[in-house]
Amino acid sequence: MTTTTPVGAPAPTGERPPVVSPRRRTGRRGPGPLFVLPFAVPFVLFLVWPVLQGIWMSFTDSSLALRDTSFVGLDNYAEAFGDPDVWSSLGNTVLFTAASSVPLVLVALAMALLVHSGLAGQWVWRLSFFVPYLLPVTVVTLIWTWLYQPDVGLGNELLGALGLEPVGWLSDESVAMWSVAALTVWWTVGFNFLLYLAALQSLPTVFDEAAALDGAGAWRRLWSVTLPQLRRTTVLVAMLQILASLKVFDQIYILTKGGPNGSTRPILEYVYDVGFTGYRLGYASAVSYVFFALVIVVSLAQLRLFRQED
Amino acid sequence: MPGPGPAPGIGRRRLLRYGAAGASALLATGSLTGCSSRASASDASALNVWDLFQGGDGMLMDDMIRAVSKGSDGFDVDRTILDWGPSYYTKLAMSAAGGRASDVAVLHLSRLAGYAPGGLLDPFDLDLLAEFGVTEKHFTPAVWARTKHEGVVYAIPLDVHPFIVFYDRDAADRAGLLDTEGELAPMGSPKAMLEAGKALAEVTGKSGILFGHVTDTAQNWRQFAALYAQTGAAFTLPDGGPAEIDTDAAVQVVSFMQQLFDGRTNPNNLDYNSALAGFLGGRGGMAMLGEWELPTLRKSGIPLGAAPFPQVFGKPAVYTDSHSYVLPHQSSPDPARRRQAHRYVAEILKQSLTWASAGHIPAYQPVLAEPAYAKLDPQSSYADAGKVAVLDPPNWFAGAASNFQNRMCQPLQSALLGNTSAEKAVRQMVREANTLLRQPNPVA
Amino acid sequence: MSTTASPVRARRLPPRERPGAPMLLGHGRLPRVLAGTALVVLAAVWLLPLVWAVATSVQSEQDVAKPGLSPFKGAFTLDAYQQILERGNVTVWAANSFLVAGLVTLITVAVSTLAAYGFSRGGFRGRRLLLTVTVAAVMVPPQLLVVPLFEQMLMFDLVDTYAAMILPQVVAPMMVFILKRFFDGVPRELEDAARLDGASEVRVFLSVVLPLSRPIVAAVSIFVFIGAWNNFMWPFIVTNDPGLMTLPVGLATVKDAFGIQYAQAMASALLAALPLVVVFLLFQRRIVSSVATTGLGGA
Repeated sequence: MTTTTPVGAPAPTGERPPVVSPRRRTGRRGPGPLFVLPFAVPFVLFLVWPVLQGIWMSFTDSSLALRDTSFVGLDNYAEAFGDPDVWSSLGNTVLFTAASSVPLVLVALAMALLVHSGLAGQWVWRLSFFVPYLLPVTVVTLIWTWLYQPDVGLGNELLGALGLEPVGWLSDESVAMWSVAALTVWWTVGFNFLLYLAALQSLPTVFDEAAALDGAGAWRRLWSVTLPQLRRTTVLVAMLQILASLKVFDQIYILTKGGPNGSTRPILEYVYDVGFTGYRLGYASAVSYVFFALVIVVSLAQLRLFRQED
Repeated sequence: MPGPGPAPGIGRRRLLRYGAAGASALLATGSLTGCSSRASASDASALNVWDLFQGGDGMLMDDMIRAVSKGSDGFDVDRTILDWGPSYYTKLAMSAAGGRASDVAVLHLSRLAGYAPGGLLDPFDLDLLAEFGVTEKHFTPAVWARTKHEGVVYAIPLDVHPFIVFYDRDAADRAGLLDTEGELAPMGSPKAMLEAGKALAEVTGKSGILFGHVTDTAQNWRQFAALYAQTGAAFTLPDGGPAEIDTDAAVQVVSFMQQLFDGRTNPNNLDYNSALAGFLGGRGGMAMLGEWELPTLRKSGIPLGAAPFPQVFGKPAVYTDSHSYVLPHQSSPDPARRRQAHRYVAEILKQSLTWASAGHIPAYQPVLAEPAYAKLDPQSSYADAGKVAVLDPPNWFAGAASNFQNRMCQPLQSALLGNTSAEKAVRQMVREANTLLRQPNPVA
Repeated sequence: MSTTASPVRARRLPPRERPGAPMLLGHGRLPRVLAGTALVVLAAVWLLPLVWAVATSVQSEQDVAKPGLSPFKGAFTLDAYQQILERGNVTVWAANSFLVAGLVTLITVAVSTLAAYGFSRGGFRGRRLLLTVTVAAVMVPPQLLVVPLFEQMLMFDLVDTYAAMILPQVVAPMMVFILKRFFDGVPRELEDAARLDGASEVRVFLSVVLPLSRPIVAAVSIFVFIGAWNNFMWPFIVTNDPGLMTLPVGLATVKDAFGIQYAQAMASALLAALPLVVVFLLFQRRIVSSVATTGLGGA
């Protein structure tokens, strides 16, 4: 999926109180369990089962090759904690998350504020910022591989025009991750932009108008009225974004295969590398669950933070 | 070898499949699973062939396929090209594990140990191949020996592609490195190669021997393996470890590499493309490269010579690999298609003269004997490399585009860049090999 | 910030109809000029890669490889498009993408809507437990399940089938959750009236509940479709046969004999981008609001 798949965020706001009719308490009539069944069956088969199966596999030496599997206890976890590649790919994942999330929130906010300021051509702005989000990942990587092409790509041509040395956008270990982050910001910022725009458009205007009547300037009103009102949205967008960025795989795998020299390899690609390229499905499951633990810790921490915000 | 070989891995998974078939039917997906790969492909009768050849190789393979597709019994080939490297090998293994793999696929012979033991390949029927005119005697023993797992043949080699030297004939001539016939004269000692580098550097006014290795995931290993094999020492990777490596020989080799690429006579900090560009631009008299760069080099207009990697230590040996054809595992192969697959492999081998124009040495010896091959220049000057071919030590994690080669390259790169000593680099290589060997073998 | 209204309602207030919006910039000229400039620059930066790709795609490979900052380095030609279409892969993958994304959307929306309604109206044993597990499952990223899911597909003998691509994608706890919250807010009086008239539960759902939930179902459908259309990791892992691959997977996996040719690469990228961009142009407002609705979990 793209890096902004909005899963992982539990109920952000309090539920609206359900309209309870007296009949409900008697439980006499209602759709009943048969309505839930068509969802429950694939849910159990393709979510609950794999979660449990993954735990089981992480205790075995399960292999992609066609051979029997045996139980190996905690060996895979012991290996994972001592595996420098697990730590370096986790480090890369965190670096990517930081390098992409910050601009993905700030640029989206800037875009939304600018568009919301009411300048003409709403349609054009929304289209420009949101369209990249609709592109499949491979389209994005094809285009950016071309922009990052070392000899005649747009990136180095621009640097050349400014009299600067060409950059190994995807081949220099110290640059590649930033190139990936830049691509990701271009690709997915439109999603956060829309969330911000929707939030802005639903803000009550009374405070802004009152501040304007009091003689506050545009800049002042932005800082003292609008941004504080967007606080909750910002926390939400940041939460969704961090969880989405942690799960990065697609664009990095296609663009660099984790290279050069492993400098962009995220943890999910390491799972793919050891599990499928290296056949070791059992070990890959263990690495997955180590990462899963991290995702859950981040989710719960965010949830706490969000509750406190309320 | 009549009939199929051993049927490995009828384990829990297969048994579960039958039970699960009922479950998936319950999901009313029967119609969807029915649309499995073969049935959905645009034409179901076409032979599905996978390879990883792009660029010059890719187009030559197109020519060869076109050649075998002609005539009344010509093949209908559906060719799929995937990216060279780990992604190709991952997809190949996953498709074989899934049981709906292509009919024929290309595999580096050095990767066989990662595929055949795990049941990911089906064996060739040698009688059937013989019927189409291909038998063991058509290959060199050095290469044929690597096509087998537990005595069963799983791969039919298409070519041998050694790591060789290309040189500028004019520069080599002026540096006095050619023999009376105008070919690169044997070197015979480490000193001779160091001298050759100096002589070439003087002639070109820039560098002598060019070699690109920085951030490359194979080049350093190729260079090391070529020289190490010439010392006659063994490099074996027994399951569970430890790796059997002659550290003295290895240190000797790495020290020699450091001496050769000292950063003055011969640069030590080039990456693959800059070494190639340097040679094309006349900034060096010799380049150590795979023979597959021949088409690129030839276009440059350099008076191009080529030779097997020069022997500088005691034993003649050339580091090489071999593109071979394999039958990826299918859970229910159609005998008629299998027969076609065998015939296809045999027919393509007979087209290997075309393949040789890219620089590869045909594995199918009858082609080498043809006068047309002898006329190929400079290919015929290194055709003997196949006889002393040394491939990666067989192990599930080794071979072309493997993690093993990548890991071997890192310490070698540090040594060449002068960041570490030969001794430390070798110790690191042994450690890396042992780390890989300690991992449970997933194909055994 | 209890004053923050829900973004759901935002779509009912297009910005230019809002009297307050222009006030943000005040009446001075300078802020407007600055904001306008910033907006134009940002939009240009965002459109540049696409413009560059389009320009590249309508030139010959030789012209494209020439150095220089000009987007047009040679004559206009549609060769790249012609070659891509002649090869036919992109068409096959597009058909697969429509099939897979279409079926995923259909099945996901159907089962999620039914389940959400069932959960909302309740009245059966195990509802609480199942609902709790469903909500908890929102936290499980599907990317973490690829290894056991692939093992499962090996067991079911489904690797390299459409079913393997589609089935795991139809489980969308988040969408169930969003829909349930919608149903929770729908008064039950109408349903009860229909029941009193003797309508069956299925009939109540189809003729009373569903018509009321058209907007939210549309929003969820759009969201699921975009997700399935662009999904890469799972279809990539479970398909090896190029005849089965979806657009993103095929484009990323299958190469051609010649090697990388940038004009053709851009042409195929743009062809692959086209369907969803056209859909967006047709349903812009609906898509924008559906992202706002579902993106924040229906807040």
